[in-house]
Amino acid sequence: MSAPILAASGSRRRSAEAGSFRAFLARLEPVDYLALAVVALVLLALLAPRILSPYDPLVGDDASILTAPSLSHWFGTDYLGRDLLSRIVHGTGRTLLGSAVAVVIGLGVGTILGLLAAYFGGLTDAIISRLVDVLLSIPGLLLSMVVVVALGFGALNAAVAVGIASIAAFTRIMRSEVLTVKGLPFVEASHHLGGKRLYVLARHIFPNSYSSVLALTGLQFGISIIWISSLSFLGYGAPPPQPEWGLLVSEGREYVVSSPWLVVLPGLVIAVTVFSISRLSRVLKEGNTP
Amino acid sequence: MAARQYVARRIAQAILVVALVYIIVFFTLFVLPGDPIENKLTSPLNPLPPASAEALLAYYQLDKSPIEQFAITVGRLFSGDLGYSLVSGRPVSELIAQGVSDTIVLAAMAFVFTLALSLAIALTTVFAPWAALRNAAASLPIISISTPSFLIGFLLLTIFSFQLGWVSSIRDQGLVSYILPAATLAIAVNGVLSEVLIQGLRRARAEPFVTVLRAKGTGEGTIAIRHILRNGAIPSITVLALVVGELLAGAVVVETVFSRRGLGFVTYESVRDQDTPVILIVVILVSTVYVVINLITDLLYPTLDPRILRHGAKPGGAPAARPTRRQKVTA
Repeated sequence: MSAPILAASGSRRRSAEAGSFRAFLARLEPVDYLALAVVALVLLALLAPRILSPYDPLVGDDASILTAPSLSHWFGTDYLGRDLLSRIVHGTGRTLLGSAVAVVIGLGVGTILGLLAAYFGGLTDAIISRLVDVLLSIPGLLLSMVVVVALGFGALNAAVAVGIASIAAFTRIMRSEVLTVKGLPFVEASHHLGGKRLYVLARHIFPNSYSSVLALTGLQFGISIIWISSLSFLGYGAPPPQPEWGLLVSEGREYVVSSPWLVVLPGLVIAVTVFSISRLSRVLKEGNTP
Repeated sequence: MAARQYVARRIAQAILVVALVYIIVFFTLFVLPGDPIENKLTSPLNPLPPASAEALLAYYQLDKSPIEQFAITVGRLFSGDLGYSLVSGRPVSELIAQGVSDTIVLAAMAFVFTLALSLAIALTTVFAPWAALRNAAASLPIISISTPSFLIGFLLLTIFSFQLGWVSSIRDQGLVSYILPAATLAIAVNGVLSEVLIQGLRRARAEPFVTVLRAKGTGEGTIAIRHILRNGAIPSITVLALVVGELLAGAVVVETVFSRRGLGFVTYESVRDQDTPVILIVVILVSTVYVVINLITDLLYPTLDPRILRHGAKPGGAPAARPTRRQKVTA
């Protein structure tokens, strides 16, 4: 009995998504095309750093130490004569993979907790909600510092710490989404048609509540980049000499008076990347909430 | 009666959250496999003289079970003993007291800057006469959220200290020295507040009372400031706790950039040295500030906006948490 109704609801969802990709492109403003170009460039730097970097990121050239940006070194060179552009390009992988790990942890754990809290309610909800209150009462960057002290310094541990610090945001939004969807007529209908709890949860509630969580994922990915580079700027993340965006800023710090580009350029790369990702996830989010 | 009960329940909840923060952070930091405190104190790299290290080893009673250690630490907390730094051997209370006044001044100034900046951005976004200006202002919050505070700090430092020479980067110039770090924090943190303000102003502008005021012949300036702003600004008090929390956490990075020796720098050093007793107290302090401000704004909200009580709705949290009702598959 229930099969045709459920199948119909599923196919409608898919067709809406196919339409929304075209709608997504239609919503893009000129700035967003730039943002898309930045994201494409960053992905290229992540997948094939050699194409974009003119020099070896780890080998310095004694003849050009601390040179200002020029045609041969677009972003200048550091105190060992290493090409800054190459170091930024090769650092992309560490920074972005770290953020990806963080978001996967936050999204995975947060989504499950939010789903459980909203669906089961009662004591489960009370415990999870209190935990969320506790996590949210510590500013994210500070919370990730606590976790990184517990885990020990390093690129992966910093990523895990940022991931743990972002669980609460995901839990909270997933919980409120599920609470909204849970009360909708089609969920009730599925229950009455004999759908098992887990089935209704997986087949109806989850697919209809994760879209605004996905929009948060984009924003949180950007914030993770900032938190991870802040942690490595402070010296708690990736160790030198391998390049990482925040680490590049902290290495350049010593020379900020005479060679400000060593600090400003990697910082700008972080800002432009995060801005592009946030901008695009906003466009996605606007499409989800007409 | 009901109101008093609500207040009592919210206060109890706030105390519970702070207590839970303490428990969770304590067990995260202290009771790890490998005994971090013992390792730290017995490490040959530790600058602490051996006699003091011995004394601290005895003080922290690491041979006891984790629960007993917790009970001892909490007992000492209530008698005013916050523990001792594992690196310098100085009392944690002394370290905190040394840095806290500097950071309070910094955070207070940054808070005022943040309010002013958010207000300017929101008013420009909603009321500016030219579309180009409105759009430019509207993109500022997302730029603020996307820019790491260390970049802002170094840019301000480079421009105003190194290039223009307006503010010394080394000499202490009293309140003047706080301006650049406070501005850095304000620029880095204002994004969320600006967005909530913009949304609030837009919603208030669409309310029927605006049409009524216009029909009565009230001037546009009066409508904007005395009516739209006063109504539209109310929801933004729900993110004030968040803003203050971000300012305090941001102080860790900003005080490092500007080489200031406040609470942020104490935090930076204690994390770097894995000086767990200091970290514990810093985190509790910051989270207590957050919880208290959150409590005050929550309790204040219904008096500022009585509609909340009438509709029985709870004052909302940050805007991201507010569910956006969608009728996607209502068939």
